[in-house]
Amino acid sequence: MTSLAKPLARPHAEEHEDPREHLMHDPLPRGKMNEMVMEAMHETNWKFWVVTGILAVLVATCLGYAWYYLIDKGLGVAGVNMPVFWGIFLVDVVFWIGISHAGTFISAILRVLKVESRRPFTRAAELMTTFGLVQAAISVFMHMGRVWLSYWMAPIPNERMIWPDFHSPLMWDFMAISTYLLCSTMYLFLPLIPDMAMARDRSTGWRKTLYKILGLGFRGTEGEWKNLTTAMNLFAFAIIPVMFSVHTIVSWDFAMASRPGWSSTVFGPYFVIGALHSGMAAVAIVLFLLRSTMKHYKYFIRPEHFDTIGMLMLLVSMAWAYFYFNDYIVPWYGGDVWDKLFQEWAEKGPLWYLWYTMLFCNIVVPWSILWNKKWRRTPWLLASAGILINVGMWLERYIIIPEGLTINRMPFTWRLYIPGVEIALTVGMFALFLLLYMLASRVIPLIPVWEVQEGQEAHLLRKIGKAEIPTLSELE
Amino acid sequence: MSETITFLAMFEDFEPASLGVEKLHDLGLSDDDMNVISGIPIKGAILGRPSAITYVSRIAMVGALLGMAFGLFLIYGIPYLYPLLVGGQPIFPIPQGIIITFEMTMLGLMGFAFIGMFVDSGFPSYTPKEYTPEISDGKIAILFSCPESDQKKFVDALTKAGAESVVPAEARHL
Amino acid sequence: MSTNLELPMFTNNSEAELGGRWGMVIDKDLCTGCQACVAACSMENNVPFVGEEDAGYGRSMQWIRIERLWEGLDGDYREVKMTDYQPLMCQQCHNAPCEPVCPVYASVHSMSEDLNLQVYNRCVGTRYCANNCPYQARVFNWRDYADYRETNTADNDPRWSVFQNQLNPDVTVRRRGVMEKCTFCIQRIHQAENQAKAEGREVRDGEFTTACAQACPANAIVFGRIDDPESMVSLAAETSRGSRLHEELRTMPRVTYLAGGA
Repeated sequence: MTSLAKPLARPHAEEHEDPREHLMHDPLPRGKMNEMVMEAMHETNWKFWVVTGILAVLVATCLGYAWYYLIDKGLGVAGVNMPVFWGIFLVDVVFWIGISHAGTFISAILRVLKVESRRPFTRAAELMTTFGLVQAAISVFMHMGRVWLSYWMAPIPNERMIWPDFHSPLMWDFMAISTYLLCSTMYLFLPLIPDMAMARDRSTGWRKTLYKILGLGFRGTEGEWKNLTTAMNLFAFAIIPVMFSVHTIVSWDFAMASRPGWSSTVFGPYFVIGALHSGMAAVAIVLFLLRSTMKHYKYFIRPEHFDTIGMLMLLVSMAWAYFYFNDYIVPWYGGDVWDKLFQEWAEKGPLWYLWYTMLFCNIVVPWSILWNKKWRRTPWLLASAGILINVGMWLERYIIIPEGLTINRMPFTWRLYIPGVEIALTVGMFALFLLLYMLASRVIPLIPVWEVQEGQEAHLLRKIGKAEIPTLSELE
Repeated sequence: MSETITFLAMFEDFEPASLGVEKLHDLGLSDDDMNVISGIPIKGAILGRPSAITYVSRIAMVGALLGMAFGLFLIYGIPYLYPLLVGGQPIFPIPQGIIITFEMTMLGLMGFAFIGMFVDSGFPSYTPKEYTPEISDGKIAILFSCPESDQKKFVDALTKAGAESVVPAEARHL
Repeated sequence: MSTNLELPMFTNNSEAELGGRWGMVIDKDLCTGCQACVAACSMENNVPFVGEEDAGYGRSMQWIRIERLWEGLDGDYREVKMTDYQPLMCQQCHNAPCEPVCPVYASVHSMSEDLNLQVYNRCVGTRYCANNCPYQARVFNWRDYADYRETNTADNDPRWSVFQNQLNPDVTVRRRGVMEKCTFCIQRIHQAENQAKAEGREVRDGEFTTACAQACPANAIVFGRIDDPESMVSLAAETSRGSRLHEELRTMPRVTYLAGGA
């Protein structure tokens, strides 16, 4: 018996995948999609209001009242001490700025690279950027000893004509975060204009007034589209270096200080990748929540999108491990006494378990789940991995900031840090983020319908031989 | 010159819309006498139209230069006005200057691109305009004006090209 | 207003002006660890008491502290040995790491005195300076310690107002949320300079001294002009026993520690 080939799979086993699984090859009329998005925006049930109520109470107590208490009594009610002058506030700043990075990464980098599966979730990610930056700004202000004077950092002279000091990494940070906040808000708004016009055309009452104002009188003439797409294109390219600069500068807040463990030349890219690590994971969580709570969103957000994000998460996790290894081995090999002390403190000190949890969440979890296509396409699994990665990244910043500050070059001052009111404030900030997002999901169309339609028009199934092959043309 | 009348012709798809534009050209309308309103951005070439002119990039460049000037002022102008010594560092630091100048340049660039988009498109404008909500449902509309005396000729030509409806356009509140 | 061209314009000036103006010598061989300097400093500079709980949690606000360390803790207890007492305050670095990181110029360099200034009124409390100080010499007003009503539960307890009466009028009382540190008793420096200027002369060596040096019963602390080679402090700093803390960081501190003679 001779055989002509190796045993074959079942005929067309791979082609069983229906191209209509992809949003871009499963088009609906624009009017239908508009209706679906509008309906999802209007639909609220008692669960929504209960969750909103709980979050609002949390914001009022954990954020509002706790912050009032903090300002009234001074930072003594927080856990910061000497030598741990920076505590969880700064951990939160870095964390939220990290979260905010994924939005830009997805909407700008994937737009520039023309990754088509980005289309339905760019807005959800951009909204995360803006709200994440709001949280980061709040954390900075909470951290300050005299927050009521924070405007002294604005680039305006005081009555003695003294301006802020641009020698300081904090001023670079201030300028970079303000730039990023302003630009990402504008970048969120630009692709929103046509959707606001769409919402204006099919709403009544206060919504009509709101969308009329935000729609700016947009009709969709050739000139308007040209201006809009030009501006969006410009933003997509320009905001990428700004995004990289922001987290690099955040890392410089630490790297510029001549402290063991902080003064590292790899901190810039390491923090950028760390930001993407937590940000991508947060996008997975948000998409899971949107898909499972918003009506009709199962049409827009599909397993293929989780697949895309899962692959990005895996890639970013590997890059993070690479940078972490860089940051680890150089001081380890160099053997400087303070650097060695810093490393031993993290691994063998009283908080050793944080270090192992961090490595588990940031490396083991993504590497063991995300290699499998089927698992990547399971929304709840990806969201769970996302939560663990975010825990890991939060711990990573905790290890760098309060734990790293515990030891320094003056052994007499070494002292552990026990968080105080920061914990309540952190809870309050998470609640505020969720609350803002929930409210926004009922006011802003979270699916950029016109971009989805544009993509669907550009995608064709072309028959080559016996199979239908997806093809893509460029409309704009 | 006779009186002109403005029409709004609605099309379902790209093909008839491009045919409609062609018919209007055949009837002697120039590109300036018509406009296409659509729910998604359409390349001019698809409909046989020249692409629109935009000043957004140029305005953004002006913004970038202004931002750069502001950044340079912050880092090199301020210490000149009030020199203060910190940490043995130079009064006019070059590395820090790069950071601040970069951030302010990008802020100027993007801020002006945003403002430029408003200015160039005439946003926000809440005056009545020729429009119909069907456009945001994905229809393509050709807005054109023709001599009142010839209107039947134009309407027939577009209906033949596949227009769903050709109606006199009314300016209405959006 | 013209710019002072003496200033470093585009490059670091780490090599320039190595001399300095005011300096201190601390003889660790003489220090008995009696904490008199700590008490005197707190009285002179209106440094508040933070209470037992906060002090235990690392929030004591002393501008000078007596560091006491043990060697050989890993070995047998009989081998554990105590090091010299090390009084530590702001080292008044010439290239102070705390200065450039302040976003609001609250931590600036005094060009005339070559001292490291802290402007309380301008401080917004980012605490970056404290992180960047390799000597951990900076302290923060975690609470309104200076306000007796905040530190004492019994409101309007008349006993506490007594502490308000002992405040030094020459020194600002700081509120919550600002950073502070040893100033080398700059109010005394200015007083002596004004006196000398009024009398048309230079400040004489030994004419005045800081509160800590004045209080030290063992004369372990010597303060004076280090730009005067004949001053007590210059002569003491020149001995072979002298070293500065973390000289490898090139912060150029103005405090010299003497040890190893006994």
